[in-house]
Amino acid sequence: MACETPKLQPIVPAYHVKILEDSQLDQLQAATLEILEQVGIHCPSEKALKIYAEHGGIVDFSRQMVRLPSQVVMDAMSHAPRYYTMGARQPDFDLKLDGKALYCATDGCGVETIDFVTRQRRRSNKDDVATMARVSDYLSALSFYWPIVSAQDHPETAPLHELDASFNNTIKHVQSETIMGEWTARYAIEMVDVVAGSEQVRRQRPPLSLLVCTIAPLAQDRDGLESALLFAEAGLPIGFMSMVNTGSTAPATIAGTLVTGDAEIVSALVLIQMAHPGASVFHSLLPGIMHPHTGDYQSSTLEGSLLYPIGAEMAHRWGVPTLAGIFGTDAQVPGWESAAEAASSLLLCALVGAETGSGLGLVESCMLLYPESVLLDSDLYHRVRNEAAGLDTSSEAMALDVIKEVGPRGHFLAHRHTRANLRRRQFSDLTAQPRQGGGYRDPQEVAREKVDWILSNHHPQPLDEIQKEELTRILKAADREKRQ
Amino acid sequence: MPTQYPPLEPLRTSYRLKFLTDEQLDSLQKATLEILEKTGVRFPSQKALSIFADHGAQVDWESQIVRMRPDFVLKALSTIPRFFRMGARNPAYDLQLEEGVTYFTTDGCGVETIDFDTRERRPSCKADVGTMAKISDYLPSIGFIWPMVSAQDHGVTAPLHEIEAAWNNSVKHVQSETVMGEIPCRYAVEMSAIISGSQEEMRRRPPFSLVVCTIAPLVQDTAGIEGALILAEAGLPVGFLAMPTLGTTAPATLAGAFAMGDAEIISAAVLMQLHAPGAPVFHSLMQAWADPRSGGYISYSLDSRTRYAPVEMAHHWGMASLGACYGTDAHEPGTWQGAGEVALDPFLAGLVGADIVTGLGLSETYTLLYPEQIIMDDDLYQRARYQLMGLEVNEETLALDTVHAVGPGGHYLGQRHTRNHFRESLVRGITHQIGKDGKYREPRQVAIEKIEWIRKNHQPEPLETEKQAELRRILAAADKEIRKG
Repeated sequence: MACETPKLQPIVPAYHVKILEDSQLDQLQAATLEILEQVGIHCPSEKALKIYAEHGGIVDFSRQMVRLPSQVVMDAMSHAPRYYTMGARQPDFDLKLDGKALYCATDGCGVETIDFVTRQRRRSNKDDVATMARVSDYLSALSFYWPIVSAQDHPETAPLHELDASFNNTIKHVQSETIMGEWTARYAIEMVDVVAGSEQVRRQRPPLSLLVCTIAPLAQDRDGLESALLFAEAGLPIGFMSMVNTGSTAPATIAGTLVTGDAEIVSALVLIQMAHPGASVFHSLLPGIMHPHTGDYQSSTLEGSLLYPIGAEMAHRWGVPTLAGIFGTDAQVPGWESAAEAASSLLLCALVGAETGSGLGLVESCMLLYPESVLLDSDLYHRVRNEAAGLDTSSEAMALDVIKEVGPRGHFLAHRHTRANLRRRQFSDLTAQPRQGGGYRDPQEVAREKVDWILSNHHPQPLDEIQKEELTRILKAADREKRQ
Repeated sequence: MPTQYPPLEPLRTSYRLKFLTDEQLDSLQKATLEILEKTGVRFPSQKALSIFADHGAQVDWESQIVRMRPDFVLKALSTIPRFFRMGARNPAYDLQLEEGVTYFTTDGCGVETIDFDTRERRPSCKADVGTMAKISDYLPSIGFIWPMVSAQDHGVTAPLHEIEAAWNNSVKHVQSETVMGEIPCRYAVEMSAIISGSQEEMRRRPPFSLVVCTIAPLVQDTAGIEGALILAEAGLPVGFLAMPTLGTTAPATLAGAFAMGDAEIISAAVLMQLHAPGAPVFHSLMQAWADPRSGGYISYSLDSRTRYAPVEMAHHWGMASLGACYGTDAHEPGTWQGAGEVALDPFLAGLVGADIVTGLGLSETYTLLYPEQIIMDDDLYQRARYQLMGLEVNEETLALDTVHAVGPGGHYLGQRHTRNHFRESLVRGITHQIGKDGKYREPRQVAIEKIEWIRKNHQPEPLETEKQAELRRILAAADKEIRKG
């Protein structure tokens, strides 16, 4: 018996902030344009280089370098839509990127899992992707799903198996960050057609989108670009993410890091618009700060969490939606550090108007899955969601008649207004669970139990049998072709 | 030899948030005025009632309820200074309240301590107040001192012993939330005058201030209000803190709880202005929730929206605001809950422009002191401070020449620009300290060690010997008079 998936609860901010002044955004944009025009981008794809050359890019085929005059960039970017819809298996779960709400996803592509039963640390597999898709389907904080870990038990075709596990276990929109290369992309699009049912639905309410990482500094990945071009052709949204690292793959100053990453992203967005004007694209700038002793990418340093919301403001300056960086703790285990690092950056992303964000549920800088992390992160998410929702000052909320009735020295316990409204107050599922004998239970223990409860009780609407069989057939064909 | 002091690091906000629209603020203010006019507030103090009556408020002597017309309230509040100075023993640590700057203090009045050496849980004492004042003295995040725990080894004069312990261990401004009643407050004023050196200097740079709690719903505390009048007379800042609990002592809707708590605060602020026009008075409203299953007091519900809207309400009245941060319901530092509940707090308090804010360092809903908690809360504070700074965009930080020099596919490690800026590019808190094994250390352990380091190495600039003796003399007199009484 299928269960109903709880309604999405995106963050709908009642108020906004602007971190950068317009003049600062202009300075950053001018710097990006200067880099694109004077330094250029390394692009190791003949196909992409030809597209650039045909549309005004200055291409050096032997060095695989492209430089883009400012006017060419601005012309291409003028075609990118500011708003569009990312579809789900059921229309109620479509994500309307209209600037009013922030929709969030899990983190993705971790490589290890704390086993759901044994609690031993092990390599991640396809079952983990499926299990966490089901948990995510239940959680209202999660509006779309990133396959949260890698299906390493299917090494050659893992990205396609991750899609299969996702589509079979959540009705929500799926975004992959691992489909690389034309060959894999063609199979993925075939799978999307099975889920969408028709080309029209695929284009109007695309159930899959793709995120491609650039290579810092100032380079593109051939496979990434070529799969992105196919996705754009098929009407599926695609985004480009730069993870430039201050001091190693970018200058050791924040502004310099931002513009290096921005140039990488914008060069790819320009390519997509040249090839497929009007294609749905998004911008994702997630710079890190290098630890001077280890060289590690640190996403949540004391000043680092300002960078993701600024990335969102830069995306909007180019007139495209953003995928903002949220959560993504450097902590080794779920706990104080993971909670300390998350909330203010998420709130700022919402208040600057980010449309989408990823991701909840991993620790160790997006590498390790603790199943309960996604519950803990969801709790923080709802705190931020409520915080951003503003204050109700209607006469019912102001309750002046009630205050007058009770007067000085009274209490409000017995009043009808209290009975009606106290139920509407939201308490945490995790921190406000009474313990037998008094006090409250350990939230992390409650979170672990809740994962078990979801897995025992939540069974999302399955795909039709025919769709399941079709996905299996496509996977088999891909596996077979890969083995040959 | 006193330690070299780091300068204070208040939050300086480069961009701002407005939670409430002007219409909402007007409507909340109107609601407060209506409560004050029609429902009134109970002042169980003959002295306070007489002041109200002398100035034309409607006083019901039998029920001790005071009602006041909106024009009466607004006229009285017109003399409140929006900004004022909170002086310190060392003038370099004076806090001149101003737009866009937020000063933090510790939490206060906990009742148990995890012992600094034995790590056993025990009732708090005066020595704990001194030790934590010394630690707070060292931290640049702490702009002023709240005695963090109660000096329970000194019975009824504990509040006065707490402020002595604070002044003997810190050069910063001291704010008490426990000195109550006319007589203790007269002693506190006397102690303040010793610290300042003269009555004039005390008025100019008051080294002491007081927070007084109201009683929800719509009641004032006799000792609290009478003590506050003494401070206002002496020119020492006094603030009123309403703590409405949704569903028990306040309506179960936020706006109603805000309006009711605001009425409590404003009625007290009006009294201070009637008695001592121009007295520095601040506003503080900290709402909480009643757990519908247990009636328990919950500081952090999942829906803690507009936690800092009261700061805007204070500013709408033209008053400075004491905001509320931290105060987790978690039982221990270093837990997910301990950060999850409070991590947004300093960021939001800065974003909305609170003038002064409490407070770092306690667990179990402000009752338990783990020494290392203040360091962990300080880490969250520093995150907020950096987030509120905004971004520097100029030729040097854009580094376009360096980007040109490196080009696609290179790296920045060998660049002079990288060498020049590398040290400042990663600001390390307690989460990014590397251990001998090359791995990141456990933040709580780093915090425990930092506390030990401060205890061992920080020597606050001592109070002059004569002043120490004077404070002891005043305390001895207070012990004698108050304990006897």
